[in-house]
Amino acid sequence: MDILLGQLFTGLSIGSVLLLVALGLAIIYGTMGVINLAHGEFVMLGAYATWFLQSTLGLTLLPCLLVVFLMVAAAGWAVERTIVRFLYRRPLDTILATWGIGIMLQQAVRLAAGADLRYVQTPDQLAGSIDLAGVAIPSYRLFILAFSAALLGLTWFVVQRTEFGMKLRAVTQNREMASCYGIDSARIFTLTFAFGSGLAGLAGALIAPIKSVAPDMGTNFVVDAFMVVVVGGVGSLFGTVASAGLIGGGTAGFAFLLNDTLAKALVFLGVVVLVRFRPQGLFAATGRR
Amino acid sequence: MAYLELQGLEVSFDGFKAVNGLDLSIERGELRCLLGANGAGKSTTLDLICGRTQPTGGRILLDGRDITQDPEYRRSRLGVGRKFQVPSVFKELSIRENLEIARSRHPEPWRTLCVFPSRRPSPRVAEVVEIVGLEDALDTQAAHLSHGQTQWLEIAMLLVQDSALILMDEPTAGMTVQETGKTSAIFQRLRGRHTLIVVEHDMGFVREVAETITVLHQGRRLSEGPIQAIENDPKVREAYLGSGGISHA
Amino acid sequence: MTSLPDRHDRRAEPVPRPAIAWRVSMPRITSAAQFLPYILFCGAILAVPSFVSDPFLLNKFARYLALGLAAAALALSWGYCGILNLGQGVGFGLGAYAMAMHLKLKTSPVHTGSAGLPDFMVWNNLDHLPWFWQPFHSGLFALAAAVLLPALVAALLGWFMFRARIAGVYVAIITLAMLAVTNLVFVDQQAYTGGLNGITDLAWFEMGGVEFDPYSPAFYYLSAGSLAFFLMLGMVFTRSKAGLVLRAIRGGTDRVLFFGYDMASYQCLAFSLSAGMSGVAGMLYAMVLEFASPTFMGVPLSLSMVIWAAVGGRGSLLGATVGAILVNGTQGSLSEAFLNSWQLILGALFILVVVFLPNGLAGLVHNLGARLSGRLRGMAADRAPSALLNRR
Repeated sequence: MDILLGQLFTGLSIGSVLLLVALGLAIIYGTMGVINLAHGEFVMLGAYATWFLQSTLGLTLLPCLLVVFLMVAAAGWAVERTIVRFLYRRPLDTILATWGIGIMLQQAVRLAAGADLRYVQTPDQLAGSIDLAGVAIPSYRLFILAFSAALLGLTWFVVQRTEFGMKLRAVTQNREMASCYGIDSARIFTLTFAFGSGLAGLAGALIAPIKSVAPDMGTNFVVDAFMVVVVGGVGSLFGTVASAGLIGGGTAGFAFLLNDTLAKALVFLGVVVLVRFRPQGLFAATGRR
Repeated sequence: MAYLELQGLEVSFDGFKAVNGLDLSIERGELRCLLGANGAGKSTTLDLICGRTQPTGGRILLDGRDITQDPEYRRSRLGVGRKFQVPSVFKELSIRENLEIARSRHPEPWRTLCVFPSRRPSPRVAEVVEIVGLEDALDTQAAHLSHGQTQWLEIAMLLVQDSALILMDEPTAGMTVQETGKTSAIFQRLRGRHTLIVVEHDMGFVREVAETITVLHQGRRLSEGPIQAIENDPKVREAYLGSGGISHA
Repeated sequence: MTSLPDRHDRRAEPVPRPAIAWRVSMPRITSAAQFLPYILFCGAILAVPSFVSDPFLLNKFARYLALGLAAAALALSWGYCGILNLGQGVGFGLGAYAMAMHLKLKTSPVHTGSAGLPDFMVWNNLDHLPWFWQPFHSGLFALAAAVLLPALVAALLGWFMFRARIAGVYVAIITLAMLAVTNLVFVDQQAYTGGLNGITDLAWFEMGGVEFDPYSPAFYYLSAGSLAFFLMLGMVFTRSKAGLVLRAIRGGTDRVLFFGYDMASYQCLAFSLSAGMSGVAGMLYAMVLEFASPTFMGVPLSLSMVIWAAVGGRGSLLGATVGAILVNGTQGSLSEAFLNSWQLILGALFILVVVFLPNGLAGLVHNLGARLSGRLRGMAADRAPSALLNRR
């Protein structure tokens, strides 16, 4: 029972980190069709920004979050304005260009902050662990879980309940038509990209205390996050959540039975089979494509 | 048994029955026109015959052989050729290359691996490009063609392909009167040697080429016969009432 | 590439015109002339040892050529057939490991256990050679496996994808995931693959009495010869009617089905040919570096191959090869200090190419050539008024 509960929580915990990272990617891919391979680097930027704020200004994690969001969103805004907007008609080329962006960001950070691993401190209030039915659960993991849920709620609200979200959905469905109704689709896309990047930055900030911060930390995240988005289905927030849970749970389960490496391999293999039979994802929103 | 038999053919898209229990039989060498209002299931019928759409019920027999489960390329090898409503050619390739693709007697990879297309067009290709008037433009990339020229190119590709059964979806759309005349002349030449099924809205053209007309309505066969019989059929008149009779459809 | 989109032309196209006033097309470069750059290139790389005797330089060049072959393989599937294989490293890695297994078994017992067992197996407490290692005692078997195994794996994966009409972005996703799977499995199966370290301390390959010391001209010839052979083979393949059908498929339509071509088997063919080529590239790479490691199947290397091919020109086998050689050559000749900013430059270069020069350097050369010949024809037309129509 304890083991089961522990496993369940491990799954949830992996899933929530995945969700955190995948959320921004899902927004960008789901609405703009841009496969942003630099997403992992935005996560990395967020982690470094947190480290920077903490080591120079002595800020603790929580006050950092808003600043980090804005900083990384600004980076995303710049990338969209200068590069990504040329490629909306060439989805395959976005893979390539954003990979180039990723290389540059990685190297820029390596030059600026050095290649050494950096560490970000867990806030004192969250350093302990909570006893839940006999299982000790680190409070910080619980915090990430709650924060991902909150971010998900926020994103849902932005997309479904605000004017910006309505315009965004209009542009997603038919860019030309939306433009005819006076929606500045270029601006909507820029803002969306910035928002998605900001979310990635937040993910980086939150992950920083539990993973070591390194310039190439993003590469691993982007592949995982991308699989989450693809499995969940394009343009479906719910799908992203479900698939983050599924992949997180699957990884935790296989890891318990076998080992971490094989677990990942099996989950990827599952993704391959799934994409083959349901390229649109498990929970694709209908009406697109 | 007729050359092509559709038996109780049925297809539904998300519950909507685009073709609903269609029976059709077409003799070898016949030129059959399919008429019907928008959404009557004409293009879908062609899609079902060439394999682009899988039926949810019924059978398709070609020359006595059940081809209902065969994939597109196998049907094509059995002699089904198709011209699409939106002219569908290979835009990145030159006209010469488009026609080379259409020359597909031996479409298996291990055979095409050993073929190296020569610059000199085969007699058949030379004849066809002359018929459609593309002989001076063999090296033009298909993307540079106008809409009408693209139509001609696709027709030329079908002539080169030389299928026993040719399915034509609105071959004269976007053509001038003269070009339509030329198309009907080409059809007269094909008649007898090939079996043709033509979906067409241009009634002038239909009168000129058709022997037998099948009128579709809501995915079923409404009426069938020579042009006069169709035009005088009260059922057809009724189905077309809103648009003031078939001649203006 | 016969018909690169020529922006200059399209802009110059007159708007209203009679139905049969054709854009007079470029005089097509005959196929012999298309072979010419390939023949020149192959001649040039085979002539290198006559001028270079420094073994370290030869070794370096041989390595670049192996990577050039990998890029050419990618161009074959991506540029000619529209299959963006982000998992090019699968074939590359399988080829590398196949050769490394053979070369490991040939090492002197210093590096092996008592029963001639590779060192990492001893460390992992294996007491006898696994059955699938046995045939790798034979060099010929290793050579065959390095080509056929990647091709077979690709054929299976291709059959799995293309039968279901998976295309475009989804092919990229599936191949990327497969790359990750392969990498993870090789890392995990430490006792059989050497895990994270890979297979190290390899012997030299020997065949027909020739020993291929990676610093010798003999090995350089092996590398250059393989590249030349596969470039020519690829060229012939793309010129065949099968190549034409694949270019038709690349346009993104399933129209070929209605002419009787089984699209999936064509795509499988190109996909596995490309994988076989990258298997050879990986094999050479393992020989030249004298080790094989899971990084050969890492995401960064596979995406780097995409960069090389894109910079050189994805639509040209030769372009992609030259791209790989140029990028790696530049990288290799930079000093440590520069190496840091190099990644920045490479990233920027790649972005610029993708955004503004989708056909890469080869496209640039082609366009310049076309413009030059256009100008020449323009001058000729001035002199001959009857040819007025030819002017653009």
